[in-house]
Amino acid sequence: MSAGREVIDQDARLDGSDGLAELTGLIRRVVAGRVDSREAVDDIVQETVARLLAASHRLDGRAVGPYAVVTARNLVASQWRRADTGMRHAHRLFDPRAAVAPDEALLEREEAEAIRSALDRLSPREREVLLAHEVHGRDTRSLADELHSTPGAVAAQLSRSRAKLRVEYLIELDREPPTGQCRPVLLSLSAGDKRRQSELDAGYHLLDCGYCAALSEPLFDRRAAAAPDEVRVAVEVDADIVVVRQRGRDLAMQAGFSAAEATMIATAVSEIARNIVRFARRGEVTVTVATDGDATGVTVVARDAGPGIPDIERALEPGFTTYGGRGLGLPGSRRLMDEFVIVSDVGRGTTVTMTKWRR
Amino acid sequence: MFVSILRQGDFLIASIHTALDDTELLRFQEDLVTQIGTSRAQGIVIDVAALDVLDSFASSALRDLAQMARLRGAATVIVGIQPDVAFAIVRLGMELDIHTALGLEEGLAYLESVTSGNRAGGSALGALRGVDR
Repeated sequence: MSAGREVIDQDARLDGSDGLAELTGLIRRVVAGRVDSREAVDDIVQETVARLLAASHRLDGRAVGPYAVVTARNLVASQWRRADTGMRHAHRLFDPRAAVAPDEALLEREEAEAIRSALDRLSPREREVLLAHEVHGRDTRSLADELHSTPGAVAAQLSRSRAKLRVEYLIELDREPPTGQCRPVLLSLSAGDKRRQSELDAGYHLLDCGYCAALSEPLFDRRAAAAPDEVRVAVEVDADIVVVRQRGRDLAMQAGFSAAEATMIATAVSEIARNIVRFARRGEVTVTVATDGDATGVTVVARDAGPGIPDIERALEPGFTTYGGRGLGLPGSRRLMDEFVIVSDVGRGTTVTMTKWRR
Repeated sequence: MFVSILRQGDFLIASIHTALDDTELLRFQEDLVTQIGTSRAQGIVIDVAALDVLDSFASSALRDLAQMARLRGAATVIVGIQPDVAFAIVRLGMELDIHTALGLEEGLAYLESVTSGNRAGGSALGALRGVDR
């Protein structure tokens, strides 16, 4: 019996777990001598054992050992060849297109969706002309011929369509406007239509309507770049007073005012802006270059949605004060500027418009 | 800080280096009035040359500051009001009823003259000019 056992051991028969373990040890030594990576060694040993088991029925007991060694060596060789080929062809696997993050794709889709919906809100004629010009590159002249119009009129229409598209796009990315006033106001801001803006009292609406205030920011950014002769500052805390009076002075100097006159304008802006901070908490001041015929000037508009002034006549009297101040703000500003108009609705807010003309 | 307060003999020299907003102006007021006590100053010079605008609030703050300093036993002089600022103050209709002087040197000379009777220490103006006493 003991001799029989020895034979079985020597022949490394595959049916005993001892024999298989010993054989695996042999294979491991063979492979580990040729391959560095531990994972690769494990893989090859496993693959060799699998092939060995698959071939075991046709193997003579004594051939198992050598067969295992040869199989292992072959597998090492073919593994090396694969790795080498892989390395030589690695550059072909490089994908020059940047990987698209999943959220990016989603955003892109949302944006495309918003543009499509915004386009749907244009009239068919507006849409057709806009797409012909922007997408198909048709120039205004050929479009004008087709529409029996002039290039100038086509360009004006295109600009109106773009303004409308911007507003509709922003609305599409947000939510439907809360009031009926919002859409026309945003449209007038987008188009930079000053006359329509004052018709709609757009400045007051922006102070009153948080929705439009937020949505109009990108529209203003765009317009601010196009119109350097305008300063618009939201006034909420006393640091804003310093900002708006400095920018007001810069604009006045730019418009050709003397340093002394620019300081007067800055002082008036300071007084008016302080009234916003003190009485209304939130408002805005715009300073624009004004022209009237040959005359150039600077117009300051201070607007708030505060409590309003019940008695404007008294508020304009020097020395009248409701808070223990010197009562110089409004009357002083009026003295510093050439034109001074104050409109106030109790409970609705106050707008001060003042202009100084260059001498 | 946008204001520096230096001691020069018996006087404090407060220089405003940049435009101050209302809150900063009030803090400056408080700091300076406190420092009159800690440094036992007889007079203060406030240099406003860097202020681009002196509106009603700022001039009230300066006037109040001078009043508070007086109550603490110190004289105040404002120096460095720019010509453009002077124009605007007058047009605004403000009366800045504080002692003013053109520059630092004139301001210190003024303080010397009003405090010479009750001071024990030396001449700040002399020190500034580098004159030996």
